[in-house]
Amino acid sequence: MTVHVLNQLSLWVEGDLSASEMTAIDGHLAGCPACREAAEDLRASQAWLRDAMAAPFNASDHERLQQRVMGQIRNEVSPPLVRRFIFRRPLLAATAAALLLVTLTWTHRRPLEATPKPLPWVPGAGTGTMLPPDPAPPPTRQASTHPTPPRPQARPTTPNPPEIPARIEFQTADPTIRIIWLAQTTPLPEPTPIFEEKS
Amino acid sequence: MCPGTEAVLMEEGLSSLPGAPAEGPLEQLARRIRAGEVEAFAELMTCTQARVLALAWRILGDRHLAEDAAQETYLRIFRSMNTFRMGERFEAWMVRIAVNVCHDLARKRGPLPVPVEALAILEGNAAPMGAEDSVLLDQRRALIHRALASLPQAERSALVLRDLEGHSTEAVARTLGVQPATIRSQVASARAKVQAFCARLLKPTNGGRP
Repeated sequence: MTVHVLNQLSLWVEGDLSASEMTAIDGHLAGCPACREAAEDLRASQAWLRDAMAAPFNASDHERLQQRVMGQIRNEVSPPLVRRFIFRRPLLAATAAALLLVTLTWTHRRPLEATPKPLPWVPGAGTGTMLPPDPAPPPTRQASTHPTPPRPQARPTTPNPPEIPARIEFQTADPTIRIIWLAQTTPLPEPTPIFEEKS
Repeated sequence: MCPGTEAVLMEEGLSSLPGAPAEGPLEQLARRIRAGEVEAFAELMTCTQARVLALAWRILGDRHLAEDAAQETYLRIFRSMNTFRMGERFEAWMVRIAVNVCHDLARKRGPLPVPVEALAILEGNAAPMGAEDSVLLDQRRALIHRALASLPQAERSALVLRDLEGHSTEAVARTLGVQPATIRSQVASARAKVQAFCARLLKPTNGGRP
């Protein structure tokens, strides 16, 4: 009685059996027309499978894929440095923005209204004498942080008050940090004597 | 086209030491990418994208979905490049990622689309004897696509990797994370189903094979 090998043909067709099993099936197929026809059908369908599943992509498809992937990869690689530097340090970012704004403001020489006006300090003030414009010793940061209390007698009344440093304040993202900028927009005048020499 | 041949490596002084496991071009590219050379990834794609695209299309059965899968595969490869163990075959690692991506997309999409228009042609003329060869070929291709679409996802992946991609049964088993005996069973079942599908619709009723 012949034992058919139909159940093993789907492994035999691609050589997925051991050598002895392959030999045995080959021997059976040589003498069994029914199994041989089934084996030929299986071989044909495998050939059709390979033919039908040939990839439909061409060089332009490959190029497009590569451009898409590399574009995304380059985006992923480069921005984190910028993101880390700016967005993860709000204080630094706020400071940088404030300094940039101050620089622009100073460049355009825009007058500021809310600027406290430090008054010139005069030795012996309080005598009621009118003072000439301050020879304007260059104001220092220290002077601005400890301003001299304004004295009514020393309030300048001249039509052309001397240029005083602009005081610009910016509140950063950190409520405990405030940036104060003092800017002198014109050259300092020539120093003049406070008191005229008596001849 | 791909760098990393033995001659090039000898010139660059990077040739593997005698007795050390040979490192192929893809592994060399992987080493460069891990060292931070992003542009080496473009070379890697040039060497491999035809296979990745074809694999994705064969598993998913849809051209646009296959392109999405290939893109996602390469992005996953780049992002997880540090997890690639040097000494392992890069191609096997890449195929494993591609298959996982395809399975993820297939799960999201649901059942495979069936080219019903091709089936309508076949059902209207079950014995296409005497038809033009090109029409017959188109019918066969549509029929194969439909037969593959009818397979369970596991059988389809096993069949694609084993018979269309040419991997060994053991390699397919490693890629899919199953035993080789399971792969043998799956591919045998898939081959028989494809053949039966084709025989039912293409075999002429009055003798002869198309």
